[in-house]
Amino acid sequence: MSKKTAFSIAAIGAILLLALVLNSVLDSYSKRVLNLCAIYAIIALSLNLVNGFTGMFSLGQAGFMAIGAYAVAIFTVPVELRAQGFYLEPMHPAIANIELPLIVALLLGGVLAGAFAFVIGFPVLRLRGDYLAIATLGFSEIIRIIFTNTQSITNGALGIKNVPSLSNMFFIYLAAIIVFVLMRLLLSSSFGRAFKAIREDEIVAEAMGINLFKHKIASFVISAFFAGIGGGLYGALLGTVDPKNFMFTLTYNFVLIIVLGGLGSMSGTVIASFIITIGMEWLRFFDDTLILFGTEIPIFRPGLRMVVFSILLMVIVLFFQKGLMGQKELSVDMVKGLVSRVKGLGKKRGDGK
Amino acid sequence: MKKASALLLAALLAMSALSGCASSGSSDVITIGVFEPLTGDNAAGGELEVAGIELANELYPEVLGKKVVLVKVDNKSDKAEAATAAARLVEQNKVQAIIGSWGSSLSMAAGNIVMDAKIPAVGASCTNPLVTLNNDYYFRVCFIDPFQGTVMANYATSKLGAKTAAIIQEVSNDYSVGLASFFEDSFTKTTGDASSIVEKGNYQTGDKDFTAILTNIKQKNPDVIFAPGNFTESALIIKQARQLGITTPFLGGDTWETPDFLSVGGAEVEGAVFSTFFDKAMVTTSEATKFLAEFEKKNPGVEPAAVTALGYDAYILILDAIKRANSTDGPAIRDALASTSGFQAVTGSTTLDANGDAVKDAVIKSVTGGKFTYLDYVKAQ
Repeated sequence: MSKKTAFSIAAIGAILLLALVLNSVLDSYSKRVLNLCAIYAIIALSLNLVNGFTGMFSLGQAGFMAIGAYAVAIFTVPVELRAQGFYLEPMHPAIANIELPLIVALLLGGVLAGAFAFVIGFPVLRLRGDYLAIATLGFSEIIRIIFTNTQSITNGALGIKNVPSLSNMFFIYLAAIIVFVLMRLLLSSSFGRAFKAIREDEIVAEAMGINLFKHKIASFVISAFFAGIGGGLYGALLGTVDPKNFMFTLTYNFVLIIVLGGLGSMSGTVIASFIITIGMEWLRFFDDTLILFGTEIPIFRPGLRMVVFSILLMVIVLFFQKGLMGQKELSVDMVKGLVSRVKGLGKKRGDGK
Repeated sequence: MKKASALLLAALLAMSALSGCASSGSSDVITIGVFEPLTGDNAAGGELEVAGIELANELYPEVLGKKVVLVKVDNKSDKAEAATAAARLVEQNKVQAIIGSWGSSLSMAAGNIVMDAKIPAVGASCTNPLVTLNNDYYFRVCFIDPFQGTVMANYATSKLGAKTAAIIQEVSNDYSVGLASFFEDSFTKTTGDASSIVEKGNYQTGDKDFTAILTNIKQKNPDVIFAPGNFTESALIIKQARQLGITTPFLGGDTWETPDFLSVGGAEVEGAVFSTFFDKAMVTTSEATKFLAEFEKKNPGVEPAAVTALGYDAYILILDAIKRANSTDGPAIRDALASTSGFQAVTGSTTLDANGDAVKDAVIKSVTGGKFTYLDYVKAQ
């Protein structure tokens, strides 16, 4: 076992242990924010696989999330509570009595999302660039509209509630780590390297003997699978789903995360998920009324944090044009390099005195 | 540059520390969380509700001899954000009760959180029955979709003598689907004819052209058309129907009561009838008189929206419950809320049923002379 692998395993162990400890220490608010970070990281990673690593501009993540979230919502609500929720039209008898454990429902959601991606992949992946983005966006809206109209399966616009809520940090972080490790292994395999080759130049990749369509559809399906899992966790965390959750604007959250973190950087994506989710919460003090020296400062009102957040994002994008990490990954060497650079800075300053 | 950024960072941190002091509640203050969409798609609705809550807070700033402080959090019209915002109110701000939110799905996201924390929440205008279902800690001061659908069905059969009806529903809107479904039930029951709903059309939020649905309806020639839904789309439906030569009366729900409905619909929406919560002409309580006077004082010449009145009601109902419970303990306030009966709110005498839904009278209004005018009054069943 190389030093790197040993370090990675130790890091995973440490994160899981930390999640386990924090799970019993933190209040439900902090836990919820941290859980949301991990879930957003899963979905953003799945989007980055297509957009950042394979170089295809897809905007269909909200739709795949919806499939995962609905799989969890439909199959994990206790059977005896279903009739009350489905009061306009009873649940379809074929599924009304099937109750699945969360893990099975999550996997089912992932598989269904992947299967749907496989089916739409054939026509959609013939497109490139902006056209692909528009087509995937369209399919994501189609999924939402189907869910709105299938009253006896999804309860239509009313949504489903009483989904057993998930707040176990250990479980969510374990899922996030599994997704991260699987993607890491995929991307360092020769199959995954082919994705990057396609990103760099399709024609060259094809000339090197890479089957473009096969790799593109694999990337698209795997991405949808992970997005389905992430969506399932998202639904379980909220305890309720409805079609309006999965408007195409939801995808933009994840586009923001991967652009900020760096297209083509897994660790960047994870870092950005945490920065954006925690940042939005931390900035809430801008929304509170602020009283300085006995007078109320008028601009401190709800909504100000959105302004500040936007400014901060613009600053970050100006200084880091390729996102925080670019295409690099966080590694021990990188941290060492950073530390020595900071030390170097200190020394220079010291010399100047 | 570095100095400037360091300075900025320091200023930010200082501010966060300061605001920390401001919001940390002590025991002689009662904090009520206001959980509303103040940015995002639903911001307009959220602002209207907050206006009512703030007005109520100015008029009734104290209960049990303690000052009542409002803590407003923005849920960004986003469900995940709504859940986090509710958790923040409960855990960080340690509120005694919560008001909100505009938009049923946002309220549903907070459902489990308030139930687990045993902090009662009162919704102002979330009408989806699922919000309070199976949740002991969620209440609301508005009536729910079933009642409104039934009211309009009764109006159609008894006042207009309708024998047949067509329904146009906004299928992506829980509110519209709920109203339409209960209208259908009640209408078919009263007419005793299962085929009295001659046509049912669906549309999506944001649609602009409704001629296909309307042409079908024209052929069936119903006595009345029930079209609850978003105000812009509804106004367009009525406009296009009149252009097609359909003269059938249109009925709808409380969402129509916005100035935009009149400006989009123009002369064509004349005669449209809908149910709502409140009207100046139908003041039944002294609280309503007070609300109208104070609102006029603050916003001269502006008509208060029904949701503003409901936000006001949610606040005074919580205060009343705290007074009756003589405690700021979550479960005690909950019990007091659950036993609310005949509470004199702005929007009429309010009783909460076993689910925590308000049972109250409805007002029926119509558009005449380019204005919303009072038409009728329906007692709660």
